[in-house]
Amino acid sequence: MIRRIVVMTQLHRWLNWLLPGLFFLIWLGVCETGIAPPYLLPHPKNVLATASSYIFGDAAPSAFAGRFCADVTASGVRVLLGFGLAVAAGIPLGVLSGRLALVNRLLSTTINALRAVPGISWLPLAMVWFGIGIKTTVFLVALAAFFPVYLNAEAGARQVNPTLLQAGAMMGVRRLRGTFAILLPAAMPNIITGLRLGLGISWAYLVLGELTGVPNGLGALIMDARMLGRIDIIVVGIIMIALIGRLCDVGLHQLLCISFKSARRMS
Amino acid sequence: MKPRLEIVSTDRQTTASPVVLDVDQVSKRFSFAGSGGISVLEEIGFRVRRGELICILGPSGCGKSTLLKILAGFMPPSTGAVRLNGKPAGRPGPERCVVFQEDALFAWLTVRENIAFGLRGRAMTRREKERAVDRFLSLVGLADFADYLPAEISGGMKQRVSLARVLILRPEILLMDEPFAALDAQTREEMQDLLLRLWSELSHTIVFVTHDVGEAALLADRVLLFDRAPGRIKEEIRITLARPRGKTEADYYALCRSITAKIKAL
Repeated sequence: MIRRIVVMTQLHRWLNWLLPGLFFLIWLGVCETGIAPPYLLPHPKNVLATASSYIFGDAAPSAFAGRFCADVTASGVRVLLGFGLAVAAGIPLGVLSGRLALVNRLLSTTINALRAVPGISWLPLAMVWFGIGIKTTVFLVALAAFFPVYLNAEAGARQVNPTLLQAGAMMGVRRLRGTFAILLPAAMPNIITGLRLGLGISWAYLVLGELTGVPNGLGALIMDARMLGRIDIIVVGIIMIALIGRLCDVGLHQLLCISFKSARRMS
Repeated sequence: MKPRLEIVSTDRQTTASPVVLDVDQVSKRFSFAGSGGISVLEEIGFRVRRGELICILGPSGCGKSTLLKILAGFMPPSTGAVRLNGKPAGRPGPERCVVFQEDALFAWLTVRENIAFGLRGRAMTRREKERAVDRFLSLVGLADFADYLPAEISGGMKQRVSLARVLILRPEILLMDEPFAALDAQTREEMQDLLLRLWSELSHTIVFVTHDVGEAALLADRVLLFDRAPGRIKEEIRITLARPRGKTEADYYALCRSITAKIKAL
């Protein structure tokens, strides 16, 4: 019995690595057997070597050796700025729109219309407006991340049980304090969902923004590699973005749990 | 046997106490675009004296919860006025506290933090607040559950927390909106006993809304019997049975039967 519990907890701990492991084995399999030729899908061991050279640099001079730190820093700053702008606008506007019919009426048509425009259609316009570089990327990231943050904050604020607000009012809580002591904590599960979706989308649009000729960043890396026909670098870039994206998601969740009781206790 | 509804009160003399709550000809209409409107309450008038426990008893849909919302200040009456200690009662505040029927606790706060919530911003030291919370935790019998979250305790315990978090604010009047209706029979009885015990210890003034005849007969000094919609006070029944009222005693049964008969006649 006890052994079974131990096995179950072990299984539970490693379960999230099952699918990545499986993908890796399939990848290894199709390369080893020659089902996929190297110019379509590079062998894992080559990708590993490229990744090591990309991260740590190496003796053999290569366009990509040792670029990792600069790329991640550049991309991280862009994501942070864009996502930060989206949060700074999305949460206050979303909460206001969820609680005040007037604000909702004012914003909902415009925001839902803009939401229907695919982010990529903004790219040419952003390049005209902001030129090639960090501003375009930050603009695209902020724009894309805004919608999930806003919409979830709005839904969260709207769905707060009115009895909770009445309970606050009767205990002498006025509007402003009620917003921070009751409304935001009660809407926290939705707000967290919005933030996590927003951060995920930030990474997606980061790559889009960096495809346009900036010299550094993970998107630029992938684009440069495509032009040089270095498919192994593309794979490295994709894996890097997946890892960093997942890491950011975990980090964001941890940060929220450390900062807010409501995040810690209701999700 | 004719039920003895007018037994001289032995446990509490409230007729000489000052009036705390004065409900003066309160009416409420809800209007809807297109279809006119419906009248929910018509000219409700009654007074509650300090230390009294009043039950508002009526069939569902008679507007008794609406009245409680008006008394709490959550919505204004269409006509009429509510006065607290002679002054118009305006916005909701800690002088008129509500125990809701549904769970209205803050899910992200522990039992202790929920009870302490209304004390934030009060001119008390941290020590005083902690002592007050400890006192009310043990008054409602939750001292061992202080650090639990609402999701981790039973429905009866949640209502104990709801009670403690408002009693700690020492409200002028306690408004209770079918607070025990969602509980199982045994828990409900425990909560009724607890309420009566707290009431005799802290002498609160209570307006208690219920649709349960037995509950009204067990708790109330006076029962305001509401008519079917639109809500009107059909009859005021003064109950002078000595407390504790045994649920098995003949007087109590006779009282319940007589009130039930009045409700059927509505």
